[in-house]
Amino acid sequence: MEVADIISISKPSKFEDVDSDIEMSDGEEPRDNGIVTPGELVTDDPVWMKGHGTYFLKDNTYSSVAGNVSRVNRLLSVIPLRGKYQPETGDHVVGRITEVGNKRWKVDIGAKQDAVLMLGSVNLPGGVLRRKSESDELQMRNFLKEGDLLNAEVQTVFNNGSASLHTRSLKYGKLRNGIFLTVPSSLVIKSKNHSHDLPGDVSVILGVNGFVWLNKTNKSTSNSVVNNKLQSTIDSKGNYDPGKGSVSITRLEEESSWEIYSDKNDKISATVRDNITRYYNVIKALSHGELGITEQRINLGYQASLQFGNIGKLIEIESMENICQDIITNERMRGSM
Amino acid sequence: MQLSPAERDYLYDSLCLQTPIRPDARNLYQFRPLEAKTTFLPGSNGSARLRMVDGGECIVSIKSKVVKNESVNSLLECDIDIQGHRDDSNFVSNLKYNLTNLLTKNFPFDALRLTKKYSFKLFIDCIVISHTSYPLTIISLATYLALKTTRLPLLVSEIDDEEVEEQPTFSDDWEDSRLLHEITGQTFQPPIMITVGVIGKNLLFDPSLEEEQVLENGLIISFYNNKAITPISNMNLALNANKDNYKGIDQSLIISAINMVNKYCSAVIHALDTLIEQDDEVDGTIF
Amino acid sequence: MPRLELYSPEGLRIDGRRWNELRRFECKINTHPNSSDGSSYVEQGNSKVICTVQGPMEPKLRSQMNHDEANIEVNISIANFATFQRKKRSKNERRIVELKNTLENTVKQCIITTLYPRTLISINIQVLSQDGGLLSSMTNAMTLSLIDAGISMYDYVSSISVGLFDQFPLLDLNTLEENELSYLTVGVIGKSDKLVMLMLENKVPLDKLEELISLAIAGSHRLRDLMDNEVKRHGKLRLKNLN
Repeated sequence: MEVADIISISKPSKFEDVDSDIEMSDGEEPRDNGIVTPGELVTDDPVWMKGHGTYFLKDNTYSSVAGNVSRVNRLLSVIPLRGKYQPETGDHVVGRITEVGNKRWKVDIGAKQDAVLMLGSVNLPGGVLRRKSESDELQMRNFLKEGDLLNAEVQTVFNNGSASLHTRSLKYGKLRNGIFLTVPSSLVIKSKNHSHDLPGDVSVILGVNGFVWLNKTNKSTSNSVVNNKLQSTIDSKGNYDPGKGSVSITRLEEESSWEIYSDKNDKISATVRDNITRYYNVIKALSHGELGITEQRINLGYQASLQFGNIGKLIEIESMENICQDIITNERMRGSM
Repeated sequence: MQLSPAERDYLYDSLCLQTPIRPDARNLYQFRPLEAKTTFLPGSNGSARLRMVDGGECIVSIKSKVVKNESVNSLLECDIDIQGHRDDSNFVSNLKYNLTNLLTKNFPFDALRLTKKYSFKLFIDCIVISHTSYPLTIISLATYLALKTTRLPLLVSEIDDEEVEEQPTFSDDWEDSRLLHEITGQTFQPPIMITVGVIGKNLLFDPSLEEEQVLENGLIISFYNNKAITPISNMNLALNANKDNYKGIDQSLIISAINMVNKYCSAVIHALDTLIEQDDEVDGTIF
Repeated sequence: MPRLELYSPEGLRIDGRRWNELRRFECKINTHPNSSDGSSYVEQGNSKVICTVQGPMEPKLRSQMNHDEANIEVNISIANFATFQRKKRSKNERRIVELKNTLENTVKQCIITTLYPRTLISINIQVLSQDGGLLSSMTNAMTLSLIDAGISMYDYVSSISVGLFDQFPLLDLNTLEENELSYLTVGVIGKSDKLVMLMLENKVPLDKLEELISLAIAGSHRLRDLMDNEVKRHGKLRLKNLN
């Protein structure tokens, strides 16, 4: 047995100098105009509307954070390099209940304020046609209680930046059969779909807020099955209607059972548990390398991780960097083909 | 930290399997990776910074002071400061007691004796900048690094000062200063403490915050001169945790835990010593 | 100590600097990514300070919630070993409470607090080594970690101290100079002449005040540039990784 199998202690990594790196990369022009910092003048043209990360003083727009300038139509904003997750309507998030209140739950979604989940925004046992009663208010803890994890969609974002959620779709709701981890929300790249079935009977929910849930794939409500049934929640007139079209009528029965609020896990084999930890470490590695996290990269990382028979080796910094490097190389090769 | 019942069950079941599966797939005897730096505080005789991948971080400084032998009870004084905890809280007091107790019982005090009348007193100050899991491991390992790199100035005045009125004087040249083991001429391996989680029939080193939530008990085992020693104690490692799982501990597990420490912890000392050997850069910056 | 030693007739200070010279200034941003929302490490001469920021976040207590703007708290901890003579310090020491209040007032003027109603921003400062310019190094570290946390601010706040030796203003005092001289510390907004902080605890002739403050402002502007370099360096590195 080697010492490294038991413990690894390394010196702090040397501080990287960007400039020398840029010199090495051949012919690529550094885009120096990329970053603005607080107090820096972004434009003196009053035609721009000021968005997040800016403030306005005497016709001038200044940056209030360190980040990239983004110009979309007339809207000028600065996207900070780091920062708390900022909810946007339609985001698929994972959250944890922090408080049970009057007809509402408070949910930690990693934003600057807890989000609100109204009793009226969840599906209750008995189906959609069932009327909500006072008894529901009294047994809110039987549905969701402090510490419970759920996945949900951001329904509204209020003026003060806080959000309300809903779980009125089969793909949302309470989480079980798995394990939770967090990554910086800036690394999660928004896409149409944030729940994926991965090889090895494992599914992942990559919350836009950086909260991630890895679980055993549920055969009956496999993400892909649900997703196929999922029509866009935006109807033809462009109106936003949460939950609409997400559930076919045959599923109502299943949905209405108490099972959706169960705390009991299904039987999970050791093989699936092993796979889950492998994905866990792969996602941690992506996060360590500050790579944007997508389904494809998780898959590539998973393949790259197979060179390590011992999954526990993956937590070492060197292995994590190896995996990130493999992913990047792999992507370059695909890109050039 | 509060886990959902489903998360707890999942973790508990995984850790209780015959071949347990930890959330990050670590072996039962495997520590989380650490990053460390020594000798970065020019104003201290010894210093170390230790950081764990989960963000837990501890800084230890060792400062010496010349004291009259009869004026002090102990030549070691430990202090622990943890961000977010009051100095007089149980949490901090326990850690402080554990560390002081372990060091006082296993320390080459001869190295601190200067003259017939005077000695060095060492002040060991630990600052925990952040921690998620129980911070004893990082405190203990950082203290090891700091003590092992502590240098004391060379005495140039007479050792027999019974009849002399003057205080001891030291060489001005820091090159003359000596490490503790150089003074005693014996190898000096400061004692460390290892946290071991107990769950089902399994034992695991260095439990993470999530693991702590579902453990059935926790053991703290001391390790000195390549073997497990007393004090050995047990405690609930999780702070404010739901105590549902917490239960008594089977004595056979205590024996196994001691065997496990005997078997694997020399590697921890080896890794710490290797780091000290390689940490030769004299630049003062720590990040 | 005879006062002459502090500033020689040749115009050199005890550590060999000229009157308008800064000590070595080094700073790093994002030093504690796994344990905080924003972090930094600042060295000014032999003073060393770590700063971490948590938030904006949901306050644990209702009493910490302000409905119109962010509630900002600063916690200062000075290590027992931070000074040459080890000294056990209590967090409630009057001196520390005073510094805490000064920093809280300063930071409230620079953060756009109305963007973060009902939240708490918690700033933790850990002083590892103290050799003069305590308030100034804490302020600079605080600015950097707030930027790292992505919290909206009007501008940088940079800070430096200046002292008066006889008729001569001296920039960026070390402990020996601080013990002997009257001095003041300023906090300057960005590249402007506006002060958000001014701490003067001894006597200074009124006619010298302007000269001292303009030297301090010039020094602060220099520090702002050094901090800005670090923020941009870090930002580029991060963007490079992302692409």
